[in-house]
Amino acid sequence: MSVPNEETTAVDASAPEFLLDQHVKYIQALDTKKNDLEYWLTEHLRVNGLYWGATALHILGHPDALDQEQIVEYLVKCQHDNGGFGGHIDHDPHILSTLSAVQILITYDRLDAIQVDKVVDYIASLQNEDGSFSGDSWGETDTRFIFCAINCLSLLKKLDDKRLDLQKTIDYVVRCRNFDGGFGSSPGGESHAAQVYVCVGTLTILGALHHVDADQLGWWLSERQLKNGGLNGRPEKLEDVCYSWWVLSSLSMLNRTHWIDAPKLIRFILEAQDTETGGIADRPGNMPDVFHTVFGIAGLSLLGYPGLVAVDPVYCMPRHVIQRIGLIEKH
Amino acid sequence: MESRHGRKKEQAESPEALKTREEKETVLVREYLALKDTLKEIVESNKRDNDALKVTTALLRKSPDYYTIWNVRRTILKEGFLDNASDDETANKIYTGELEFVQENLKLNPKSYWMWNHRRWCLESMSQPRWDKELAMVGKFLEMDARNFHGWDYRRYIIRQLDLKDKEAKDKVLERAQSEFDFTITKIHQNFSNYSAWHNRSTLLGKLAEDMSTEEREAIVDNEFDLVKNAIYTDPEDQSAWLYELWLIGREERSISILGAHVISFHPLEIVVAFDETVKMRNPFTVSTRVDHVAIPLEGEWKATGSDSALGSVWIFQQAPGAVYGPTVEIVIFSDDVCAVRAGSKLPAAVCYELETLNQNLDEISGRLGRLVIGQNLMYDVTKRIGPVTGPDGTLETQAVHPKHRVTSLTESGSLDDRIALLEREISAVRELVELEPDCKWPIQILSTLLSELRKTVSIHSTQAKVIDDECIELQEKLITIDPLRQERYEDRRTQLVFDRETLSIIQDSKRFPEIEYSAKQPTNLDLSMRGLTHIPISSYLLHLHTLNLDSNSITSTRFLRNLLNVRRVNLSNNLIEHLEGMQHAPSLEFLTLENNMIAKWEDVVAGFVFWGEGKLARTGGHVKVLLGNNPVVVNEGGEYVLEKRWEDVGKVGVEIQWQSEELRLAEEALLAAEDETGAVGNMVVDGTRRVSATVVEFDAGLAH
Repeated sequence: MSVPNEETTAVDASAPEFLLDQHVKYIQALDTKKNDLEYWLTEHLRVNGLYWGATALHILGHPDALDQEQIVEYLVKCQHDNGGFGGHIDHDPHILSTLSAVQILITYDRLDAIQVDKVVDYIASLQNEDGSFSGDSWGETDTRFIFCAINCLSLLKKLDDKRLDLQKTIDYVVRCRNFDGGFGSSPGGESHAAQVYVCVGTLTILGALHHVDADQLGWWLSERQLKNGGLNGRPEKLEDVCYSWWVLSSLSMLNRTHWIDAPKLIRFILEAQDTETGGIADRPGNMPDVFHTVFGIAGLSLLGYPGLVAVDPVYCMPRHVIQRIGLIEKH
Repeated sequence: MESRHGRKKEQAESPEALKTREEKETVLVREYLALKDTLKEIVESNKRDNDALKVTTALLRKSPDYYTIWNVRRTILKEGFLDNASDDETANKIYTGELEFVQENLKLNPKSYWMWNHRRWCLESMSQPRWDKELAMVGKFLEMDARNFHGWDYRRYIIRQLDLKDKEAKDKVLERAQSEFDFTITKIHQNFSNYSAWHNRSTLLGKLAEDMSTEEREAIVDNEFDLVKNAIYTDPEDQSAWLYELWLIGREERSISILGAHVISFHPLEIVVAFDETVKMRNPFTVSTRVDHVAIPLEGEWKATGSDSALGSVWIFQQAPGAVYGPTVEIVIFSDDVCAVRAGSKLPAAVCYELETLNQNLDEISGRLGRLVIGQNLMYDVTKRIGPVTGPDGTLETQAVHPKHRVTSLTESGSLDDRIALLEREISAVRELVELEPDCKWPIQILSTLLSELRKTVSIHSTQAKVIDDECIELQEKLITIDPLRQERYEDRRTQLVFDRETLSIIQDSKRFPEIEYSAKQPTNLDLSMRGLTHIPISSYLLHLHTLNLDSNSITSTRFLRNLLNVRRVNLSNNLIEHLEGMQHAPSLEFLTLENNMIAKWEDVVAGFVFWGEGKLARTGGHVKVLLGNNPVVVNEGGEYVLEKRWEDVGKVGVEIQWQSEELRLAEEALLAAEDETGAVGNMVVDGTRRVSATVVEFDAGLAH
């Protein structure tokens, strides 16, 4: 059951109102902008974009606002013989789009439409000797790809696949931990809130969160909030709506969401809404896009904003979906 | 994703301007789609020539994140050109062309993952990559944007590649690390807030110090402290240098302590082991018993208290049905049997507990689930702690001295005096800054952290420890006022400090410094009312209590109750609790006062009892009285009558809920008594407002769910 948040978080009365209906319309209109060059230039993000859009709509309580049947048909066409999904039809398979495709299919409860075993083959083929995962067969590695792999396998209930060495994955992630308690994209890489999210998420799913010093990392994460309420991703950088998700979900996994000022963050996200077109931008006054729209809305949901469907802090999918597939006790 | 950031929303345009823009856009779209069609033909016809390459060039100029085209391009280069290249020079020329192409595009899109990736592919495929040129190139990029993490990542990648080449020449590797170390100082001097540079410095310092003598290390570390001082005096609000300072100071790794192990029931045998923090059990602790002078393993199961049995600070062993135990039972916990949920702490060595089970008074404990035993001071059993013990492989576990004083993350010192000297020096330096900038939060935060480190070097019962605690609490209170955004973090920290101070009598220093254990005599009552607590940091400390008063704090969760195996009365009135949890595992609980909290929903009341059937109380048939007056739930769910009815709907268990506030109930009782005295008939309904104040209802967990 998708039950909207009932907790009435202290929402500042003078804060802008939440434009729920406009956001729904904004997301529905995304696929109609074929006269814009931008539409074509972002084609490689189509599958990711669908995940962002569909997830946002679910959290908004409008799960049927997109044509589910059409999306499933489209996704099937994006799957390659090796099991991976491309960012669009005829685009090469990559773990980023593979996770998005699986997330959408699970949200819609339509895993039956694809060959799950092949997806698992694909992901297993990307694990490297040191425990990390490559993004595709060209070999780029990044902790983001580790999270994509572990998240995807966990959603598919295939973490017990014999080809995987998950202890090595944990060891690798731990090697990415820094002097400040945060995590980077690779061993030695600077701490960054989005990389913290993927590493803490991976460790959460793998039951290895004891490698994280929650007080130290929670401190670092809480220092991401700036005076205007927005969150940045690294010290001395600008605020951005998408960090509402990366920082907040990490704090949530560490049971420390209360370490930042929720009403101020809510206000910042609401101010980044586009009152004309709907959608949310990276910060007030900028152009909205579906990426910032979903992470803004997911952030609001995690903050208990009234009227939104609860989101899961690890998987960034509706909580009732994660409950349905039986993964809720894991964290 | 980066390209989607920071685009300003444009002002509304005139109809003419809009039309012109749309026309232009149409042309651009047409051109782009035509290029894409050509690419499709190329891919389908396996064309690997110059024309094909040119199409990818044109497309990538327009859409640099179209990763598939980078893949197509590499395939064309490889199969159409490189595989047929007559010599290295020809191949290198091709790669160099690619590097130029990437560089020119990187200037426009310095944050495109795929482009940096293509560059790595070229260099790794070349026979003689010019890493020196790469280093110069990325240096330029970091001049344009000193925080570009792609740039920094790439820089570290180049160094790694070079180091790999010089695997055998350690001096070259060190020289390179030194030169990178110097690069970070250039960046830091340009801007003390360059966190990327501070970060890189932290990774290099360890490498440089690896083979240094103690003196050399001390010198280099002192140098770092000076650099930090420079930075924090320039801008005391800049977190970069402060976080670096904290890392330089390092943290003393505190070990996990076992507070004690005790028998809580003989039939079945139940043993509880309490830790001073939440731990994960990696291997079940070994339990054995002596039967006819032969030690045999005792079958049974370990569980943490609470419904989530994978983590906990209190663990209970229950013997398997039919298992027989002798006059002594021995528990051995090896250091790798547990790991702390908080990173960094370990059990320093294996420990062994021998518990005597011979003198049990069967008359006393038969019948009601050993309640009498539970009620005893936990030192009831002669608890002997012996060690060291042999490891699973038969070898004696070495009682190696674990380095306790981590002076920096790169040097460790076994000397307590050195550690104290360093901390005192830094504390006095930070204190000066706090005086200069009393409303600046970073010096205060760091001062508090340094003081907490210093506290680890003294006995927990010393006057100095108390002085430090008091100062740290004051510092948190100051932080709450000057940094309201993170107020609750400081409140949590303050709670920890206050809790430590108030529970000092419960623990003592173990002989095995720096561990702690329960003190010999345990209090049964504890008053922690009006202390501003937000949570109970270490509930295992409270294991012995019979009565706990937490009235008028800011506690948000009742989860800690699950570890309070002996508690009978808990006062949690005037807190911030929203739902009930944990009490189903508190087997002795009799009275729980929750008046004036924030419990708003019926479900949040029931949630406290859903696992009741699994809890001990269901077995003992004990009764709990819960006072819920003045919680929003009473009004939200339709008032007292309706709640009583709903509670009855649920089933049966020994829970008595009082919805009305205790104050009101007492007033009514007084009224009734007065009526009796005047000879009026008791229970007479005067105006329809009198209510049954408490209803005993039976509640069955199984049916509730």
